[in-house]
Amino acid sequence: MDFLGGSLELRERQRLEGHTDRVWSLAWNPAAGVRGIPAMLASCSGDKTVRIWQEGPSGSWDCLAVLEDTHTRTVRSCAWSPSGKLLATTSFDATTAVWEHVGGDFECVATLEGHENEVKSVSWNTSGSLLATCGRDKTVWIWEMQPGNEFECVSVLQGHTQDVKMVQWHPVLDVLVSVGYDNSVKIWAEDGDGDDWHCVQTLNEASSGHTSTVWAVSFSSNGDRMVTCSDDLTLKIWDASSSPSETSDNSCGSWRLLCTMSGYHDRAIFSVNWSREGVIASGAADDAIRLFVESKDNSVDVPSYKLLLRKDKAHDMDVNSVQWNPKEPKVLASASDDGTIKIWELLEVPL
Amino acid sequence: MEPKASDTDDFLESTVLLDEAQYEEGFKDGYNDGLGLGKEEGREVGLKLGFQVGEELGFYRGCVDVWSSAIRVDPGAFSARLRKSIEQLGELVDKYPLSEPENEQVQEMMNTMRLKFRVISAMLGVRLEYEGYPKSSETDVVDF
Repeated sequence: MDFLGGSLELRERQRLEGHTDRVWSLAWNPAAGVRGIPAMLASCSGDKTVRIWQEGPSGSWDCLAVLEDTHTRTVRSCAWSPSGKLLATTSFDATTAVWEHVGGDFECVATLEGHENEVKSVSWNTSGSLLATCGRDKTVWIWEMQPGNEFECVSVLQGHTQDVKMVQWHPVLDVLVSVGYDNSVKIWAEDGDGDDWHCVQTLNEASSGHTSTVWAVSFSSNGDRMVTCSDDLTLKIWDASSSPSETSDNSCGSWRLLCTMSGYHDRAIFSVNWSREGVIASGAADDAIRLFVESKDNSVDVPSYKLLLRKDKAHDMDVNSVQWNPKEPKVLASASDDGTIKIWELLEVPL
Repeated sequence: MEPKASDTDDFLESTVLLDEAQYEEGFKDGYNDGLGLGKEEGREVGLKLGFQVGEELGFYRGCVDVWSSAIRVDPGAFSARLRKSIEQLGELVDKYPLSEPENEQVQEMMNTMRLKFRVISAMLGVRLEYEGYPKSSETDVVDF
């Protein structure tokens, strides 16, 4: 992304209110915001509901639907299927609900049970055939979608020694990444024919990984790189370009650390998201949003990233989630403990 | 030629020998007592652990038997993946080395079985649980 020499600004377009408790997570509908279909955003909250927001013709956002009376506790995370027709929501009530968008309504078409307690995150793979969830019971579950909106459990992955905070599928490879309270990043792959998923690599302190809870992970749009954020106040960029496999000596796979960004945050970093144009957004416990890009400094061999912009007091409280609009790469949504969602636009203001 | 031990040396020697003799007797008594106690406790612990392992394995065997019967009655009611998982659990139960309590792999085998059982329960859509062992979400308590 090139900037022509003006100054950058993250301008607040709108503040979405409605939730009555902290907003944990956001998800842009990947099929909306294009071909005449208005942009759609899902948010989930400690108020046990999920809200669906839609952009009106004038560019202002309204609440299209409130999905309630299903989860009995905090809804912690939400994710749209690649087709945009289904929305998966996970809750502290240990269930994962799958909703179908029919007309203007959302109907709960499946409930996935299995986790022993709070489910923290959900992710669909690129083809939409697999769903992954993770939670406080330290396990990662993989579900396969069957005809008729049925889901079948494929595998339960053990390996993390503490609460698993987030799961995310690689955008290209059939590889799953999970991160958690045990400070590690785990990479899971399938053994070819069957349902034999296992951990092919662990990125922990010994492999130059994080030294405290890893909260989130995000891939660059082509899956070449991955960024993780942590309680240890750093962002780490990893090379995620090759299909990882267990080498015979079992000591290292093929994903490695490229760069650590430290000194930019002084409070825990809860969320990180990589835009289609290569801008990395972070949301932290100091209520601020920060943007980073790769610096094209030819004098060094290793990739390096620089701070593009820091938006202090983006919210009144902790920023829990930042998500770039996949269709409008300069539009960012953020969610906070203050119960609001904000829509931002990255603008270049001429000097 | 060595001089003969004097009377003084003999007197001390018998005392020292008596000391040693008493020590040895005490040691033998203590050892025998300990041996008895150790065998008693060993048997108790062995019984308890054996029962726990047996009960859990029996639980899985029972579940597999019932599920296998259901599959024979109506194979179409279960997906291929589910049938395969139930079969795999049955094999794991059969393979467990009952008479090798000191086999280092038994803990891992038990974990594999527990995990397989959780997957099958989730696929069947039932909230089945073996009550005997602590959940992974609690701290690991080894009741031993």
